[in-house]
Amino acid sequence: MKIKADLHIHSCLSPCGDLEMSPRAIAARAKELSLDLICVTDHNTALNNPSAARACAAAGVRCLYGMEINTREEVHTLCYFDELEKAMELDKFIAPRLPDIKNDPEIFGDQVIVDENDIILGQHEKILSSAADLGLEELRDKVLAAGGLFVPAHINRPRNSLISQLGLLLPDEKYSAVELHKSVYLCGAARPETFDYPVISNSDAHYLNDIGLVYNEIELEDFSLSALRSALEQKSVAVKVL
Amino acid sequence: MKTSELAKLPELKLVQAKYEDREIKNGYTSDLLSDVLANAGENALLITIQAHKNTVAVASLLDCAGIIICNGKTIPEDMLQSAAQENIAIFNTGLNQFAASHLIYGRLNR
Repeated sequence: MKIKADLHIHSCLSPCGDLEMSPRAIAARAKELSLDLICVTDHNTALNNPSAARACAAAGVRCLYGMEINTREEVHTLCYFDELEKAMELDKFIAPRLPDIKNDPEIFGDQVIVDENDIILGQHEKILSSAADLGLEELRDKVLAAGGLFVPAHINRPRNSLISQLGLLLPDEKYSAVELHKSVYLCGAARPETFDYPVISNSDAHYLNDIGLVYNEIELEDFSLSALRSALEQKSVAVKVL
Repeated sequence: MKTSELAKLPELKLVQAKYEDREIKNGYTSDLLSDVLANAGENALLITIQAHKNTVAVASLLDCAGIIICNGKTIPEDMLQSAAQENIAIFNTGLNQFAASHLIYGRLNR
């Protein structure tokens, strides 16, 4: 089957994510756009994943579980699982590795944990845009060993990307795919060398209207992570613009 | 000054000692390797906290005279191996990038 997937969406838990980005609202918008598969990937936390799971189930949209982790090198990386528990385990592993800096919502924005009905459950205390004290390779090996997918995010973005921080993408690294910044597809930004890596792109939405602007059309056997892994390996992915 | 003379400074610890000894004429201090690629020029001594094997790849592309890793960051094994292959000296220091740059700047024969 051919499915539409947007696998990089920030909820209201990300400091830069709009307050309207509740998991319920995200799932509803994804349904409206006929997206089949989404993933809420907040900065350095998976605490809105449980409500995203319930909101997606209620809306009839499939979801993966994951987060966008900022590594020690200040490279943003996407980590995906198809079991909520594994994403929550990674969250528990990352949380103590974030610097102990309290978020100031006035300056950095709110970091709101909500349930699937938009009821506020709390705020994340630490500023989530920090870098975790964990190297890129260390994180990758941990995610892959746990059965997840590991994808360097928006590798050609001029900040917080593999290329901005580490200069270049080396071939033959154990990445499940690389994500190109949506500008490559939306406005013809220069496409970096991607070697043999599978390429995906996503909306990286921080506002409801941005969801699905760029998405992946994937030929998928089923909605498991192993099916997605095979599809990536076979390069059965085409990036599309809404 | 030469790479081997750097190794004698008490503030620096030589952690990758298979290198080509050469005259160091300039340096570049940055943690953004994209910036290093764009602006460091050739033959510079690279001062950074990016303890990552890509730092060696960038240093190799620019024919850097050596790499100083600041703030006592742990240097991963794959970075050391790659630098040994490329004959690029790596030093570790507890100094930050500002202090390390100061330490080196006045000693260069410019």
